Amino acid sequence: MLLAENISKRYKNSRRTVLEKVNFKLEEGEFCAITGESGSGKSTILAVLAGILRPDSGKVCLDDADLYALSDKDLSYIHQRKIGYVPQANIFLKQYNILDNIVFPYLSGDTKNGQELFERARAHLEILGIGDLWDRYPYELSGGEQKRACLIRALLMKPQIVICDEPTTGLDGKTGKKILTYLDEYRKSGKTILAATHDDHVKACATRVWNI
Amino acid sequence: MSRKKGNNLFKNIASHGFYNACLLATILILSAILFASAVIRQSLNTGMKNMKKRLGSDIMLVPKGAKENAEDLLLEGSRNTFYFDASIYEKVSSIDGIAESTSQIFLKSLSADCCSSEVEIVFFDPETDFVVGPWIEEEYAKTLSGNQVIVGNSITVENGVIRLFGQEYPVVAKMAKTGTALDSSVYFSKETMPDVIAHAEEKGSFLTKEQLEGGIISSVFINLRSEAKLEKVLETVHQTIGDIFDVVYPKQLNTSLAGNLSRITGIVDIITYALGGLLIVLLLLFHSLIMKGRKQEVALLRILGRTRKTLIRELLSEVGVISLSGTIIGCLFSMLIVFPFGTYIGMQFQMPYLGPSFAKALLTMLLIVLFVSAISLLTSILFILHVTHVEPYLALRREE
Repeated sequence: MLLAENISKRYKNSRRTVLEKVNFKLEEGEFCAITGESGSGKSTILAVLAGILRPDSGKVCLDDADLYALSDKDLSYIHQRKIGYVPQANIFLKQYNILDNIVFPYLSGDTKNGQELFERARAHLEILGIGDLWDRYPYELSGGEQKRACLIRALLMKPQIVICDEPTTGLDGKTGKKILTYLDEYRKSGKTILAATHDDHVKACATRVWNI
Repeated sequence: MSRKKGNNLFKNIASHGFYNACLLATILILSAILFASAVIRQSLNTGMKNMKKRLGSDIMLVPKGAKENAEDLLLEGSRNTFYFDASIYEKVSSIDGIAESTSQIFLKSLSADCCSSEVEIVFFDPETDFVVGPWIEEEYAKTLSGNQVIVGNSITVENGVIRLFGQEYPVVAKMAKTGTALDSSVYFSKETMPDVIAHAEEKGSFLTKEQLEGGIISSVFINLRSEAKLEKVLETVHQTIGDIFDVVYPKQLNTSLAGNLSRITGIVDIITYALGGLLIVLLLLFHSLIMKGRKQEVALLRILGRTRKTLIRELLSEVGVISLSGTIIGCLFSMLIVFPFGTYIGMQFQMPYLGPSFAKALLTMLLIVLFVSAISLLTSILFILHVTHVEPYLALRREE
């Protein structure tokens, strides 16, 4: 499904090669947890696999399509419909409330069923226990609430693969568990999860652990 | 919920309020300067063109010692009166080498009689006049009858009459604006002169008894034959009427005026270019800061599936809205200064100054709106392209 071959990456102005000829394969329905020491390249490989960081060499294929050989339009389609990415930091558009933050990015694209998206977002907010916060602005939410909103945003278009960078880091046990349950439910609906983590709970929930 | 694109656009602009306000202010100032500069240039050029039309004689004879006053009157519209004997015109007009000639008499009104300020009363001979006459005919083709008058553009006319020296005179035409002394002058046919002077006398004239009895004129305008030599004609004039006159060369004044105009517009251009250049640097700076502040936002939207093309279009729309608003406000602001204070600006330049028509001002504004908006969009495009081409993960990582 998602295949990475001979991925190498070194950041500009850095002497160290973060990834060197890394190979990786993700099968449909998997929950793969990537572990490793800080600086081992977990976030970098996630970004490369998500199609948001071009590797120096190697290729990443999603269903035989080389992500970095695609046109901007086709890659954008993949980002909107096939790969949902949750960054480590909770990043929002500060001028919009939480509901708009979740739905707005998809409204200006090809999606015409805006009303349905708003309803779906409200339903997911309820599931994750932040339904009454939909009209709050990002700065009004706690870290855990923000993380849940980020997750809903990544899952709203029901992507095939969800890639999460440290989904539970910095959260209390209860919130972490909510998020893990949510991700696991999503996987059970036939989707695929890939998460970089230090959290043993995530590792326990994963179907495979890859120590980078 | 913000579901309308227009709302989103304004929200996005407001979310980077400080730098966008700086950008708006820069565009506003740039537009205001360009508009003011364009209008001042146009006004000076139009004033100059009208001046050329007015200074349509080769030489102008005025009483000895009145040369400076006559030049001031022609160039700046200062209210000067000077007289010499009317018989001079008859003597001069028949001199060999003169193709055409005409005389004029200037009379100053009492300000309280008609206007908020003094007006210049010009008596001219429609039959011989080639300086003012043709100019008036552009507005009024008929000859003046009885005590009818034609007024300059700045003269206020109430109920179709103008009151001078306690008398009412019907106004049959108003002249187009010239930006010169013509605008605040009242034009009588020479035939009505005795009547007007009689009323002036009743109100306490400033003319001497000798002047009134002997007949007076203020100036003689002369055009020479093409083969005639100026020096020889002037020598003959001197021999004929004696050393009682000074010569004003309107066309030379015109040339010196053109030189002044060129210097003034040169200075206006230098100031405009210098400020324009500085403001373009500021535009680059603010566009750069705005886009830098939006790098993370753009990266996030790309990760969530927004295409570069869509993002570029959206960012350009925001810049476009700011630019259009700034440049329209700037031009309107500039209008509020340049038009009401046009006369004052003209006086400061000591040049004929004729503001553009409403249609021309609108056209100028439209061109500046397009030009400044284009500059703003062009200066932003580099940063927009940069921010939409940065690898999304790198943009997020730098912010983390």
